[in-house]
Amino acid sequence: MTNARFDELIHPSTRLTLVATLAAADWAEFAFLKEQLGLSESALSKQLATLEEAGYVATERRLSGGRRKVRARLTDAGRDAFDGHVAALRAIVAGATTPTESPATRP
Amino acid sequence: MTNTAPEQARAALDAVDRAQRLVAGEVGLPRGYWWAMAAGWLGLGVLGNVAPWLAGTATAAFGAGHGILASRLLDGRRRTDRLRVGAAVAGRRTPLVVLGMLFGLVAVTVAAAFALHADGADHASIWAAALVAAVIGFGGPDILRVLRRWARA
Repeated sequence: MTNARFDELIHPSTRLTLVATLAAADWAEFAFLKEQLGLSESALSKQLATLEEAGYVATERRLSGGRRKVRARLTDAGRDAFDGHVAALRAIVAGATTPTESPATRP
Repeated sequence: MTNTAPEQARAALDAVDRAQRLVAGEVGLPRGYWWAMAAGWLGLGVLGNVAPWLAGTATAAFGAGHGILASRLLDGRRRTDRLRVGAAVAGRRTPLVVLGMLFGLVAVTVAAAFALHADGADHASIWAAALVAAVIGFGGPDILRVLRRWARA
């Protein structure tokens, strides 16, 4: 069972949508994420860099058809953090438990 | 401890749900699969008309080729090369839905060929195959989407 663990790093809405998208996929290309989230390249790069720094996301640069493409995927730590965060959100909605906060406190 | 209000938590959960439904909407087969299937269907229809003695073997070869070449695609996680849908999101029933759809289309082809033949049409099997090939080529992705929804795949 997933432990409810509110994660301040994941919680901001853009980052939460980004992590939720990656949680539903094995990997996603930068262009797909940019389109789905409606972000500029620099904004998405910044969000991915923040998550990568926290160890939640791994990115991989690949050469495809002569073009360099970036793929992002959620790491195991990122998946655990996301599952814990969703469980914490559900607990808040249910008003059943008091979730604990993760050490990650960056907004 | 967080001071997130239940309304904010609910809005966040809705955002998570929306994001995950968008990814689920990417489940399907590549566009090229449907066109290749349509071409094969038409080819078998023509073969059934010009060389009926070869049609059975060709259909078996087509089925075997499909099994080998498309087996990796049938899980529905590789519709585009822009992402790979997670196994849990794609579900395990998509390959069965695709195969069920193909068997259904075989039945439609045979029924259409009999109907056209009864109506006195020349080359009934070619026309029936062309009709179903058009349905597959143009409507395959949409038919699969509807069938997956019905099958809750």
